[in-house]
Amino acid sequence: MSNPHILIIDDDEALGAMLEEFLAPDQLDVSICLSAEAGLDHLRQQNVDLIILDLMLPGMNGLDALKQIRQTDDTPIIMLTARGEDVDRILGLEFGADDYLAKPFNPRELLARIRAILRRSQTAATTDQRLSVAALTLDARSRSVNAGTTNVHLTGTEFELLFCLARSPGSVVSKEQLSQQVLGRQHMPYDRSIDTHISNVRRKLGKAGVTNPSLQSQRGVGYVLLVTGEH
Amino acid sequence: MPSLLLRIFVSFWLIILVTIVAAGGIGMLYAERNRVALENFDMGDAVLEASAALRSDGREGLTEWLRGLPQPAGALVYIVDEKGTDLLDRRLPILVKEFMQRRGRRQGQAPRGRRDTRHYRPARPFSQLVDADGSLYTVVTLPPRYLRASWLFDRGKGTVIALALLASAAMSYLLAQTISRPIRRFRETANAIADGDLGTRVAKRIGDRRDEIGLLAQDFDRMTDGLQRAWLQQTELTRNVSHELRSPLARLRVASELARRRAGDLVELDRIDEETQRLDQLIGQILEFSKLDADRQEASATVDIADVLATVVDDVRFEYAAAADQIALHIDDSHRYAINGYAEALRSCFENVVRNAVQHGGDTGSINITLRIVDSAAVVCVQDTGGGVPEAELTQIFEPFYRSASGQRANRHSGGLGLAIAARVVRLHGGTIAARNGDDGLCVDIHLPVSEQSGSTAS
Repeated sequence: MSNPHILIIDDDEALGAMLEEFLAPDQLDVSICLSAEAGLDHLRQQNVDLIILDLMLPGMNGLDALKQIRQTDDTPIIMLTARGEDVDRILGLEFGADDYLAKPFNPRELLARIRAILRRSQTAATTDQRLSVAALTLDARSRSVNAGTTNVHLTGTEFELLFCLARSPGSVVSKEQLSQQVLGRQHMPYDRSIDTHISNVRRKLGKAGVTNPSLQSQRGVGYVLLVTGEH
Repeated sequence: MPSLLLRIFVSFWLIILVTIVAAGGIGMLYAERNRVALENFDMGDAVLEASAALRSDGREGLTEWLRGLPQPAGALVYIVDEKGTDLLDRRLPILVKEFMQRRGRRQGQAPRGRRDTRHYRPARPFSQLVDADGSLYTVVTLPPRYLRASWLFDRGKGTVIALALLASAAMSYLLAQTISRPIRRFRETANAIADGDLGTRVAKRIGDRRDEIGLLAQDFDRMTDGLQRAWLQQTELTRNVSHELRSPLARLRVASELARRRAGDLVELDRIDEETQRLDQLIGQILEFSKLDADRQEASATVDIADVLATVVDDVRFEYAAAADQIALHIDDSHRYAINGYAEALRSCFENVVRNAVQHGGDTGSINITLRIVDSAAVVCVQDTGGGVPEAELTQIFEPFYRSASGQRANRHSGGLGLAIAARVVRLHGGTIAARNGDDGLCVDIHLPVSEQSGSTAS
């Protein structure tokens, strides 16, 4: 099996070069594109296993690039944001990014996330399961969620999250567990990814008119998919 | 051309002119009508007729005759009996009353004297008629100018007056509207801008006028353009600063990691990483602090601050794993803590206060955090055991980059903006923040007004 191919889209050439050097010992092949346009070109020509996308790009910005990639491509994406730019983070996760890291980041952390996502995308295809919780039907193979006849469109991570909660409706799943099972990595302090994904799922379910089951947060503990009428 | 000036000037002038002309015209028309009517009315004949009527039908005949007199001349003729009442029961004009009284004193003599000559010098002051039973009737004729008041109440004239009132009111209303309506639009626009909607423009909303108000609207919009541009530049600058300062930090972080690989774990490299992180945090705080002033584009929402506080405490426990057991959180669960505000800002507020307590709480100290409702306000109290600060500095610690003179709380962690951010967020939510020295450490109290629907409902 050939080495996983990582595409870094970042206008910071020096950073890219250093990351390439940092990732090389771990059998990761790295390509670097300095603009979103170049990155999209590269994606058309080559097979990429994971994209690291900086959201602060000259020309076409990272969010637009993200949207465009997601129209045709399910390649996992880790986005690089600036700390404090919460809107970018929330929009990025909503547009289908799998994870995010705030710049400046610890490169070991980046490596851990790359590993987690690669591991997840290799195992994801093997699950074959259908779950029904109240009005919702989740199909793990097609990764689709249906509420009656309406289809609720979720991103890959959002689906995994809902699936994870749907396996044990009514019982609270901690953020640590969710992070391990869905993102494949440890939950970090000040890490809002699970919360952001949850609120996206909640909003999409609400828009589809799903009130039962409901996604609720258990203060300080985690989240629970609650089926009303059974308690 | 200053057309609003012209419009107001011309409108007022026109209204006044029209009023004068209309009043004069109606007056003249009426005077002419009266003149013709009075010219055709011969008082001598009238008295003869009255006398005949009295003779044939007595008092009733006389009353009938008086009632049948052609108007407006009839309004000038009064016939007063011995009791001093008019046959038609009309209120006697003061002149007639005075005249009758004087006549009562000086029987048969025409009134004289300056007063009388000035006010009333009728050519035919009066005639007296005597009924068959001997009762006396005095016929008094007023001069034509006494018709003045009565024409207003003639039937038919009411319509004219009503129309005139209506027309002038409508015109005045329209004039007032051309001024007050755009002012209302200005107010709405100004309020929208104050609420953070910098995209609002007023010129279109008042219909692209060309007068002074239209010009004012254009200037107003130009001002808003400027504000919006400045705001966008500021946001852009903020993002650029964030990017420009963080890019080198990101490279530094990766470089130190590469160095670590080559040279092994060095204390100096740990130090470099630590300082990189600190610098990143400081940049984040500065950006956050500057954003809190301008950035209110995000809509406020209902936020459960109990959730926010619990999440923050979790994070801080996670970050300071060694101190995790020393951080105690007590939330009074008999209340709900929904407030209308900005979740991210509140999170950062609590985080800064709690982190401050952990960093300055002393090595063995414990942190006690409580959330409860006092007088319909949510009160967060963060108490540490770090020895407190001098009384004089209790308010200064909320200032940016405050450094303690005593050095007691010298900012080893350069969190010099943390409490300032917290204070700004609290103020943004209409609350108060204050520090006091507790038993063995500092206590920061945050009061935030809760929304109406929370309060004491048990959850």
